[in-house]
Order: sequence, then structure tokens, then C-alpha cells
Amino acid sequence: MSDGTVNKSRRRFLIGSTSLVGAAGGVGAAIPFVGSWSPSAKALAAGAPITIDISRLDPGELMGPMPAWRGQPVFVMLRNEETLASLRENTNHLADPSSEKAEQQPQYAQNEFRSRKPEIMIMVGLCTHLGCSPKLFAEVEPQDFDPNWKGGFFCPCHGSMFDLAGRVFLGVPAPDNLRVPPHYYVNDDVVVIGIDAENS
Amino acid sequence: MAGSDHKTIEVKGLLGWINARLPVVQAFEKHMSKYYAPKNFNLWYLFGVLSIVVLVNQLLTGIWLTMHFNNSSEGAFASVEYIMRDVPYGWILRYMHSTGASAFFIVVYLHMFRGLMYGSYQKPRELIWIFGMTIYLVLMAEGFMGYVLPWGQMSYWGANVIVSLFGAIPVVGQDLMQWIQGDFLISGATLNRFFALHVVALPLVLVGLVILHILALHEVGSNNPDGIEIKNNKDANGIPLDGIPFHPYYTVHDLVGIVVFLFVFCFVIFFMPEMGGYFLEHANFEEANNLKTPEHIAPVWYFTPFYSMLRAVTYPFLGLDAKMWGMVVMGLAIAILFVVPWLDRSPVKSMRYKGWYSRITLLFFVVAFIILGVLGTKLATGPRTALAQICTVYYFVFFLAMPWYTRKEVTKTPPQRVTGRFITMPQLLLSLFLIAGLITLPLYVVGAETEIELSHFEVNLEDKASLQSGAATFINNCMGCHSAGSSRYQRVASDLDIPEDLMKDYLVLDADTNIGDLMVSAMPIEASKSWFGAAPPDLSLVARVRTPEWLYGYLKGFYLDASRPFGVNNRVFENVAMPNVLGNLQGDQIPCTTEGCSETIHVEGTGSLTAEEFDKQVYDLVNFLTYLGEPALMHRKTIGAYVLFFLAFLFVFAFMLNREYWKDVH
Ligand code: HEC
Repeated sequence: MSDGTVNKSRRRFLIGSTSLVGAAGGVGAAIPFVGSWSPSAKALAAGAPITIDISRLDPGELMGPMPAWRGQPVFVMLRNEETLASLRENTNHLADPSSEKAEQQPQYAQNEFRSRKPEIMIMVGLCTHLGCSPKLFAEVEPQDFDPNWKGGFFCPCHGSMFDLAGRVFLGVPAPDNLRVPPHYYVNDDVVVIGIDAENS
Repeated sequence: MAGSDHKTIEVKGLLGWINARLPVVQAFEKHMSKYYAPKNFNLWYLFGVLSIVVLVNQLLTGIWLTMHFNNSSEGAFASVEYIMRDVPYGWILRYMHSTGASAFFIVVYLHMFRGLMYGSYQKPRELIWIFGMTIYLVLMAEGFMGYVLPWGQMSYWGANVIVSLFGAIPVVGQDLMQWIQGDFLISGATLNRFFALHVVALPLVLVGLVILHILALHEVGSNNPDGIEIKNNKDANGIPLDGIPFHPYYTVHDLVGIVVFLFVFCFVIFFMPEMGGYFLEHANFEEANNLKTPEHIAPVWYFTPFYSMLRAVTYPFLGLDAKMWGMVVMGLAIAILFVVPWLDRSPVKSMRYKGWYSRITLLFFVVAFIILGVLGTKLATGPRTALAQICTVYYFVFFLAMPWYTRKEVTKTPPQRVTGRFITMPQLLLSLFLIAGLITLPLYVVGAETEIELSHFEVNLEDKASLQSGAATFINNCMGCHSAGSSRYQRVASDLDIPEDLMKDYLVLDADTNIGDLMVSAMPIEASKSWFGAAPPDLSLVARVRTPEWLYGYLKGFYLDASRPFGVNNRVFENVAMPNVLGNLQGDQIPCTTEGCSETIHVEGTGSLTAEEFDKQVYDLVNFLTYLGEPALMHRKTIGAYVLFFLAFLFVFAFMLNREYWKDVH
């Protein structure tokens, strides 16, 4: 059938180069399959920035029904002077009191109140532990989970605690402060959540 | 062949560990490196491996499509357009799957023809053939149910026709039909069960059958164009003298064929995914509507030969009606394929050594089958039905007379050893020419269709200014009544280079609408029905349903007709319920009365635009509607060009690799 002289190196070269080009084709063919898992135009449209009116917000009350951004609950709350004062006090029990972890908030919220305007709190209401939604316990009164409770959020799933600036307590499972979404004020009453004025 | 190819390889390491527990090396040897295939395979032997390639394509793209598809009757149609527009790369996956379905049947039909030509079904390969025919049968069910899923008009009415066949069965028919549908008509219940069968049950069966088909083949060995057993001539080691290890020889050989196939396949995907309405029928871009039958129902091309046979039966017989017999004929036409191994009584396998009876009957069989296929795509008229009847009779004669003519004819004695090319180039061309002539002649005689004359429309998606102007006309003049509910404002803005704030401020209709929303008209559908007598249909896909030519003719085709509610009628769409919304731009038109004139006549002094300006405005509008029908069209061909270029590059490597292995094989 053959004269027995096989040019092995030529074969090896051809096998190698054909496989290489074929593999490149395989990668190319994978693009649509991998790419189609990214959020679709529908998901992007549903996750677009939202505009909310905060003119009727009562102090100490969580805005409800909660507005959702990208399907996530967003906490909007008007904090009174006392609350702001208590946030400024005693921070020993907090893990990251001055918001040093940059990815948890935009730069303009990297302050003690973690907000653009001191009195208005805007937060993604998902626990940084495993994504349950923490509950608001606004009153300053002893709680089962903390006798010295100064008001804040308590996650019923695994007991993580946050203050009214969304700062996480030491010694709870959640590692980080609650996330502050990008947002900007169109005027005193209207806020857009999901995008910064800088990027819009 | 190098001697080292035959040594049993001793395996160490991880492979050795696995092999001690699972015989992977032996399996590889049995089916690949020590499977001896005849070395005289020709082009016809590619279609087996190609059908596996297509099967893999269908499985992968199918799995991915189910990730985005909504299998409810309310959501199915919209979810297909969602895949086409909103899912990143979704259109590629969808076209790969829809083109793959047709490609599957093309390669399987060619594979089956190969079997008929070289007698691959004869002893000892009867079981391989039976598995093969079962695969074909399951594939038909798979194709049929898959076609129902997009829930377009053809999906719906095609399913209706096929399921109604079961209603023809005496006594139990009607109950059976309801049981299959799960309802009194084709409905969401039917869609759900077809979905389950299409994506889970039938693919499992199909893969199982393919494995059985190949195991049975590897047990007895492959046939070849000479139809002789290579196992009859072995060397001292028991290796067939005319055999060659499948791997690497046929792996590198098939690779070349696969690359060429992929080239053609990708050409269709990127440049003509509808294949002129044969792979994706125009009417299927319209959502299923159980109150409105399309004017002309044609199944997808791969069923048309059998559909023709079904329609060809027009006489009642033995007290049963024609409908019942049509179904019987169709069923028998498929069933008879299973018994071919026992119908062929020839002492030889291959057409190369069979006599003239076999050759000529096979030639006419191909002709009849293709004619039936073509007829099945057309409306049945008297002469066409007659032709279909002749071909149907011939189809059965070919098989039923086989025991007789295969024994009667004079055969040649096949050689002892395999030979190379048999048919000469002039003979090949002559046969193809003959087949083409025999197919076109009778079809020509039974008549072509006459259609209303429409002028050619040159789509130009490069012309962004035209598309922008069309978008503005559409949103301002049409969206008061019509939606384009598959499309989003934002996508239109970005595809047509319209700045988003401009789009938002001037074009998005009301303040509550977001730029990412679907382009839905505020017109309440139910009320509009009573206002106009017909609801304004969604126009997202109208260019794909109607063609740009039709739209252009339609939008320019309004003329004065006092008998109509809005005082106008239409040249292209008679008694349309839509008013002439562009009438104040175009001015009044009156029908022309002279013989042979196809356009309408303008009434001087009416309309705010000149004829040229109006033509341009309508051109832009239709150009935009064409874009709207398939936004992917913007990039499809460019991506396609890259893909084809890459495949051409890969071909060079595959070709050289193949030549390197085969250059010393004689
Ligand atoms: C006043 C409401 C109204 C407006 C505005 C309108 N249409 Fe229509 N259109 C209708 C109605 C009603 C029908 C249904 C006609 C029928 O089925 O008889 C229709 C049907 C159509 C059809 C036929 C669809 C098909 O395939 O059957 C097309 C195409 C069409 N319109 C295009 C347009 C375009 C383009 C515009 C903008 C220039 C437009 N329409 C503006 C009411 C309207």
C-alpha cells in the first residue's frame, strides 16, 4: 500500500497546525453559545435606571413599596438629626466605619453617612452575606439579637446587623457594608437610581 | 501504511489507569484505528459523517435555544423574535438550528440515495438499513414537531393538516385526533407536548438509534462503491487487503469534507437563511391565528414529496374516502423503504454491476421523487395533480417491481478487488443533465404560477439617512395604529445611529415609555377591530412576511374607490381596511383603465409632495421596515464573510493534511 517512508515531522507539523487552526475555529464557534448567556436587551431594559419621587418621605420610614433596581430591592429612607448624630458617635462595633472598601459605594457616598445628601439613605437592600433582604428595626430599643440596639437593619437569615448607614457590625457573618447604588438628584424631590450624573 | 499502526499500544499513566477500568483504548481501536474501511470510498460516503455533524449542531443549538424559548402558545412566537433580537448572538443560534434542520434532511436523503445506489442494504447489512430508516422516520417526527414550536401561521396550519390526517382513520379517528391535540383544536396543550417530545424524547431516541446504526455497521463492516466484501481478501494478519484504518485515514479525509460542508452551511446561515422561503417559510413570520388560514399551505420542503402523494389520492375506494387512502399511501410510501433489502433480489449490490433495468428505474425514481417534492410546494391544480399521481404510481412501481427486474436483468460480475472511479466525467454530466431535464420538462408543462407584478426593490441598509427618515415616518405616521412589538426603541436608535436623547425626545411616543421598551402602539386592539373592521397587525416582521417589493407596491398602491369605507382601495391588497394614511402626501390616485398598465394614475394638483419626493419617502419607509424585520441583517453578512474566510483558511490545512496521509495509498 505504501513504500514505508513516512515523513513523520511533516505529518506532525500538519497535524499540529490543523489542530491549532481548528481549535481557533472551536473558540470562534463557542462565542455565540457563551455570549448568549449575557443579559439580553430585555433584561437590560428591565434593569435600566429608575426615577423615584422622594418628596413624600416621612422621617424614619423606609420607602414603600420598595422601588426595585435590576430586580433588587432598594432601601430609601429619610434620616432625622438624632439618627445622624448617633451614626457619628460610637463606631467601635463596626467593621468598616469609614467605608474604606471602595466597591461598596460610589466615591460620593464614601463618608460617614454613606450618602450624597446626609439625611437621605439609598441602599441596595441585600445582605452582603448571602443575599437575603435585611429587615428594618428603626427604634432605639433592646432587641433579642442586641440589647444595645440603636436602630438599623437585621438580617433574619443569618443574623447579620447593619446600622442606619448600612454599615456592618463586627462579629456577624456579613463581611461588607450594604451596597450604595450609583444615583443622582435631578432636583430636591427626584432621584435617579442606577446611574451617576457623571456617567449619564 | 506504516507497520507501527498495527501494534497494540501499551498504555500507561492516567489513560492506563482508566483503561484498566473502562476499555477506552480497545473501543477506540475497534471503532477507529483498527476499523478497516474500504479504501475506495468516494464522495457519497461523506454524508454519513456529515449527518453526525449536523446532529451535534442540532443538539447544541437546540439546548441553547430552549434556554430562551417560551413554550406557551401566548409566548412562543414572541420568544422566537426575542431570540432573534434581544438575546446576544441569538439570531446565529436560531439560524444554525433552522438551517441545520434542512441540512439534516439534505444529507440524510443523499445518504439514503447512496445506499440505494450501492446496495448498502443487502445482506448482511439489512439491520443497518432498518435502523437507518427508523432514524429517518424519527427525524421526520422531530422535524415536524420542531416546526410547530415557533408558532407561526405555517407551524399552526401545517400541524393542523398533519394531525387531521389521524382524523381520517375510521371509527377512532376523531377521538385519536383530540387525544393528540389535547384539545378540540391545535392549541397551547399541543404545543407543550410537542415541545417535550421535540427537545427531550425524540432526541434521546435519535441518539440511541444512531449508536445502534453505527454499532451494527462496525459489526459487519462498510460496503463500498463496488459492492464487494473486502473481508473476502485478507492478508496474513487477517487485515483486509482493500481496507484501511478509519483513523487516521478517514478522519483526515472526512475533515476536508466537513470543512467544505461547513462552508456551504455557513454561507446559508449568514447570506440566505430563509433560502428563498424554503428553509424558513415567509408565512411563518406571522403569528399563529386559528381564525385565519393562509392562502396556501405548503409544508417545509423535506416533507413535500410525501405531501404530494397525500394530495395525489383523489378517489374513494373500497368504501373508504380519498382522505383515508391519501394517508395510507403516504404511510406506505415510507413503510416500503424498510423492506427494500428483501425486494432487491439482484446477485450483485452496486449499480456499477447491476443491469440497465435497475439503473434506469433508479434514475426515474430520483426524477419522480424530486418532481413530487417540487409539486408539494405548489398549489394543486388539475394538471399538477395528474403529474403527482403519475409520479406516485411510479414511486411504488419502482419498489414493487424490484424483485422482478433485479432478477431479470443481465448483471456483470464484480471484480475481486475494489476499483477506483467508475463513472466518467461525461457520463456523470450527462446523467445530471438528463435528471435535470426530466424534472423540469413535466413541471414546465403543468404550468407556472401567475402573480401580480411588483417592481424590484433594492434594500440598502448602509444608507443610515434613509433608514432614519423611514424610522421617523414609521413612528409618526404608522405607530398611531400599528405596533412593532418585537423591536425596542433603543435598539433602533443604536442601529440607525440616532442619538438616544433625540430618539427619546422626538420619537418615543409617550412620556411613560422608556427607551428600552418595546415599540408598542397605544391603540387598543379590540376597539380598533370595530373601527376599521380589522385590527392593524404588528408590523415588526411584515417585510419578512410580505417582502419589501410587496410593501412598496402596497404603500403606493392606494387609489380612489368610493365604495370603500375610507374612500380608497388598494391595487396590491384588495379591499384593505387601512385608510391611505400617506394620502395627503401622495395626493389622489385613480385606477388606470388602459390595457396592460399596472400602475395607478396621479390626479394633478393633489398631494403635498412631488411624485419623486413621495417615492423617496416610501422607499425610506420600506427600507426601514426591512431593517425592522431582521435587525441582525445589519451585521449578518459581515460576520458571515469573516466566517467563510476562516473556513477557507482551515480548508487549506485540512486539505494538505489529507494529502499527506493519502499520497502513498494506492
Ligand atoms: C388609521 C390606522 C392606521 C394607520 C395610521 C396605519 N395603518 Fe396600516 N393598517 C391598518 C389596518 C386597520 C390594517 C388592516 C387591514 C386589513 O387587514 O384589511 C392595516 C394593514 C397594514 C398592512 C398590511 C399588513 C398585512 O400583512 O396584512 C401594512 C403593510 C400596513 N398596514 C402598513 C402601514 C404603514 C407603513 C403605515 C404608516 C405609513 C400604516 N400602515 C399606518 C391601519 C392603519
